[in-house]
Order: sequence, then C-alpha cells, then structure tokens
Amino acid sequence: MAKVNIEKKILTKNEMKAAEVRERLKDVAVLNFVSSPGSGKTTLLENVLAGLKEKYKIAVVEGDQQTTHDADRIKAAGVEAFQVNTGNACHLEAVDVERALDTLGYDLDLLVIENVGNLVCPAEYDLGEDAKVMLISVTEGDDKPIKYPVMTRACEAMIVNKTDLLPYVDFDVEGCIRYAKGVNPDLEIMTVSCRAKEGLDTVTAYIEKKILEKKGK
Amino acid sequence: MHELGIASSLIEIVIETAEANDAEIVRTVTAKIGRLAGVDSNALYFAYDAVKEEYPLLKDSKLIIETVPITGQCEDCGKTDTYEEMFFACSSCGSFSVKLLTGEELTISNIEVD
Ligand SMILES: Nc1nc2c(ncn2[C@@H]2O[C@H](COP(=O)(O)OP(=O)(O)O)[C@@H](O)[C@H]2O)c(=O)[nH]1
Ligand SMILES: [Mg+2]
Ligand SMILES: [Zn+2]
Repeated sequence: MAKVNIEKKILTKNEMKAAEVRERLKDVAVLNFVSSPGSGKTTLLENVLAGLKEKYKIAVVEGDQQTTHDADRIKAAGVEAFQVNTGNACHLEAVDVERALDTLGYDLDLLVIENVGNLVCPAEYDLGEDAKVMLISVTEGDDKPIKYPVMTRACEAMIVNKTDLLPYVDFDVEGCIRYAKGVNPDLEIMTVSCRAKEGLDTVTAYIEKKILEKKGK
Repeated sequence: MHELGIASSLIEIVIETAEANDAEIVRTVTAKIGRLAGVDSNALYFAYDAVKEEYPLLKDSKLIIETVPITGQCEDCGKTDTYEEMFFACSSCGSFSVKLLTGEELTISNIEVD
C-alpha cells in the first residue's frame, strides 16, 4: 500500500461557479443578505434601495422556495428584480445567480441577493458576493449570533432590525453585539427599525461604501 | 445538505490523484475538517459512501475524517487558546481580538492506494 499526499482544499462545484460569477462582476458590488424568515430583509431593501436607485444601477435577486411576492415588492419600489424559486432547496447557489444575471445583465453598480430565509445552509454557499450581511430582528432572541456561529463568521456585517419593538421583548442589544463580536470581532454592526425609519442611513452609507470600493474610488 | 457536493468534489480529486499514480484500488481517503467549516461529519461519511459506489476504483475505500479543533491567538496579549465553544474571547485578557489559527479547514490530506 502506498500513501499519496495531497493537502489540497476541497473546492466544490459551487465555489468554482461562484469564482466565475465574481470574475464577471469585478466592478459591481455584490451583497448577499441572509436571515431567518421574516427578519425584514425585503422590507429593508425596499426602504434603502428606493433612495440608492436614483444614483446607482441596481438589481436584486430574490430567493424563496415559492412565490414571486418579494420580487414583486422590489419592483414596486422601482428596482429591477429577478425571482428564483428554489423549490425544495433551502439556499441559493452560484448557478442561480448566474441564471438571474442572464436576465438582469451585468451592467450594474450593485447586485443585491436576498437569500432564502435560514441561517444554516446559506453560510456554506458562496454566491460570488463581496460580503454576506446578516439580519436579526429583536423578536428572535439576542443569542442568534452564537447559536449560528458559522453564519456569524461568514458575514461582514450584521443588522439588528425592528428596534421599534424593543419595549415589548427582552432582547438585549448590547448582549447581542457582545455575542456577535465574540464569534466575529470584525463584524460591522448596525441597528435599524424599518418601521420607525430609524438607522436606515447607516445601512445606505454601508452599501454606498461597498459600491465605491468596488469601483476603486 | 451541501455534504453531497463536498463528497463529489472530494471524490473527483481522489480519482484524479489515483489515476495519476497508476493505482488499482483506493484503500483510504483522509480529509481534515475544521469544527468551524460547517460540515457535518456523519452526513459527509454517508454522502461519500453513496457516491463512491459509482466508481470501481473507490468502492472498497474508507473515508477517514480528522476533525481539527478551533485554535486562536489573541492579538492583544499573544495568548493561544483552544476553543470548545464557538465564542472566541482570550482566556488571559478577555479580548475579542482573536485571530483563528485553525478550525476552518476543509482539505483532503492524502489517500492510500494499491
Ligand atoms: N415592527 C416592525 N416590523 C417590521 C420591521 N421590518 C419588517 N417588519 C415586518 O416583518 C415582516 C417580515 O418582513 P419581510 O421584509 O418580509 O422579511 P424577510 O422574510 O426577511 O424578507 C413584515 O410583516 C414586515 O412588515 C420593523 O422594523 N419593525
Ligand atoms: Mg423576503
Ligand atoms: Zn489576550
């Protein structure tokens, strides 16, 4: 019996496809939004993109198991959107993004991907994004960042949403941030209420920073 | 869920390597998987055994997974720690500025062939 040393990273087909997508989107900022179902991803995008669309060319890829509700909501806000229905799959894959781009085109400043709602599998699938952004709403419990540490580490930013509901729940914002930083010290953290329209400017500024970074400005 | 994709990619590398080394049969495949890689070992064993059936070269092979612990070094005081829980505070000074050294690997180490 002979031993053959290899020592090589196992790159999946999805990662190879993601690298192709990334290469084709070299000048486009690509953000992959992840959260549990109902944290407010679509609501946040409706609010924030409505302003950014005046300055930048934006498209959104919406992932859900079924329905075109979210793409319809984004289009109603005046932004191009493409709905991917994943059927039984619990996450988007890079090939879904490639397919969406066949329709949306590559001539963009910003591509936003709203992933299927769950904090497990989407952590494992590179979609060619520059950053994953995680949303947590205050009704979900402040320990989500350590309950889903793989996702917390995969993300560049975390947005705590629905702060208008803080008086009614026992969510400890400081505690949540502490948990998050203990898993990922580099995490950029924003707190917002889409309902009360608070903190949305910080999200807009973060996205704009990502766009300009990608343009090399 | 993604363990099937990982098993397929792993097997592709194994076959490529085995053929390049004129192997007739693959006995073992050793992979290193970090605790933070988000891979479920049992699901990967299961997926490997399912996929290997399609390849005569691999059908008697055994996958060996070496689980890599999470270790990190404090960027403030330099202390090195091994983490059981996925919360990375320095055990000496309490800082969260911990740079992980291991725990995120997903690599194929070696194969044994005849
Ligand atoms: N109270 C409150 N509700 C919100 C806020 N943001 C979103 N919602 C509500 O949360 C629900 C789910 O939002 P949606 O954007 O569809 O979540 P998604 O599944 O993450 O896309 C909707 O009923 C929203 O109106 C917020 O800041 N405060
Ligand atoms: Mg949605
Ligand atoms: Zn320290």
